[in-house]
Amino acid sequence: MLMSRRKQRFFKLLTYAVLLGFSVYCLLPFLWMFVTSIKPTDQIRTLNPSFWVDKPTWKHFDNVLNGSAFLTFFKNSLFVALATTVASLIISIFAGYALSRYVRFKGVKLFSVAMLLSQMIPGVLLLIPLYLVMKNLSLINTYASLILAYTTFTVPLCTFMMKSFFDTIAYEMEESAEIDGCSRIGIIFRILLPVSLPSLVATSLFAFLNAWNEFMFGFVFINDEAHRTLTPGISLFKGLYQTDWGSMMAASVLSVLPIVIIFVFLQRFLIEGMTAGSVKG
Amino acid sequence: MLTLREKKIRRLAIGFIVPALLFFLLLNAFPLVQVLWDSFQFKNLLNNALSGFSGLSNYAEVVKNEYFGTALKNTVVWTVLSVAGEYALGIVSAIALNQQIKGRTFFRGIIIIPWVVPIVIAGMTWTWMLTPDYGILNLWMVKLGILDEPYYWLGELNTALLTVVFVNIWRSFPFFTISLLAALQSVSKDILEAAAIDGAGVRRRFWHIVLPQLKTVSLTMIFIHIIWTAINFDFIWVMTEGGPLHSSETLPIMIYRYAMQEYNFGNASALASMMLGFMISGFILYYYFSVRKNRG
Repeated sequence: MLMSRRKQRFFKLLTYAVLLGFSVYCLLPFLWMFVTSIKPTDQIRTLNPSFWVDKPTWKHFDNVLNGSAFLTFFKNSLFVALATTVASLIISIFAGYALSRYVRFKGVKLFSVAMLLSQMIPGVLLLIPLYLVMKNLSLINTYASLILAYTTFTVPLCTFMMKSFFDTIAYEMEESAEIDGCSRIGIIFRILLPVSLPSLVATSLFAFLNAWNEFMFGFVFINDEAHRTLTPGISLFKGLYQTDWGSMMAASVLSVLPIVIIFVFLQRFLIEGMTAGSVKG
Repeated sequence: MLTLREKKIRRLAIGFIVPALLFFLLLNAFPLVQVLWDSFQFKNLLNNALSGFSGLSNYAEVVKNEYFGTALKNTVVWTVLSVAGEYALGIVSAIALNQQIKGRTFFRGIIIIPWVVPIVIAGMTWTWMLTPDYGILNLWMVKLGILDEPYYWLGELNTALLTVVFVNIWRSFPFFTISLLAALQSVSKDILEAAAIDGAGVRRRFWHIVLPQLKTVSLTMIFIHIIWTAINFDFIWVMTEGGPLHSSETLPIMIYRYAMQEYNFGNASALASMMLGFMISGFILYYYFSVRKNRG
């Protein structure tokens, strides 16, 4: 566009070179993670490492799956992340609806400011009082402590995401449903949500990713093996396996896998949500 | 006066926000007040001899701590370098992705991947690639003649923090890419064409038309990321735990040490309150700055 032919070709080549460079930069660690996880140990401990794997082995995976609490951690993480997703979704659907339709009330406006501010309050500063709250409610070492904490920190963003999606839906649709005698909750669930399905997916993805990836609260609130989630679990593997990088990379592959699968299928929604959250928020 | 119908609707609206509000009040507002309150109290789980109001002694103790200066400096270095690097990579990749070429969605997909994996995994994989014994990056660098012998990047005083910065940039720049890409795509093609017809070259069009339009998004992104990076605990903890010899310790790591290793909740709260103070002043500065900008 608007350039000489030669310049155009130059820019095209440059663009490809840059993108290729970024792709290598972004993917190299994953590639190496995978390659390491299926290498026999003597090929890991070598001064001439290569991407070619001679006699690939599942030994490290076997070691992680059968010789450690990995599966327990995985299940815990899955449960906590799913529960967080459901909880924050339900809460933020209603809150987002109120923010979208009822800002004319002073209370709702105040609430919107509170949500905005709470998005800015970092978890690490609240670590101590939250720890004490959980301790006083004797929730330390329970899933509930994590679900509560994660929900608290995901609700604001989810609320704003839901709000901006509801904003795009015309009010007339609701009015006609109301005339036909539909209740407000009926309107939300029967009319608005089916229309905003992509947004629901984006919002739940966010909540899920946040909960799945979180480390600090999981590390501090949970001290027993039976309730530990994946991220603190894996960081503790480092002490357990010492320099058995094969097993550690196998564990990494297994915990990245579900996210990558989700990501491949739902990339579009995720990007939509990211831009909605950042550009408008 | 509100009509009966309006009153009913208002009740409904309040009902809708109550759950979110409860979470906010119980697990956000209350803890926040608690932190501020505790920062003026003697509160040490290992030493119950002292209790009650402590004045500013918690703050004094924190500031006098021999590692406070280092941690403060590290936090600034960590934040500034990370955000600068993320922005640089973010804008280059966003511009590249904004070109009319084949495979854009494919490349975009690849570039976001680092951002979706847990920090712990990212940290561990890079740690493995950087180990002095058998770490692939070290071996490559030796082979290419950049290094004479493998270097313990995460274990040396002068490189530990910088190495974590490097990995943090790797993980966080995609967020900049996506946001800047969205902003780039909204830059009007008409203006660009008009400028081209008036004889503005590629470089001039970029500096004078595209960049100014990215300003708002850029400022917001940078501001948010300064906060997110300054308070990040996971990365440094997973990769170095603040070591060696506190050389990569930032303020959040220090809060954690006070709270969970020394059980000195008073000092930890004082430090947290100070960070909150920094943040709020930054927020006010930013607000003032952007409001004045908009008016001018």
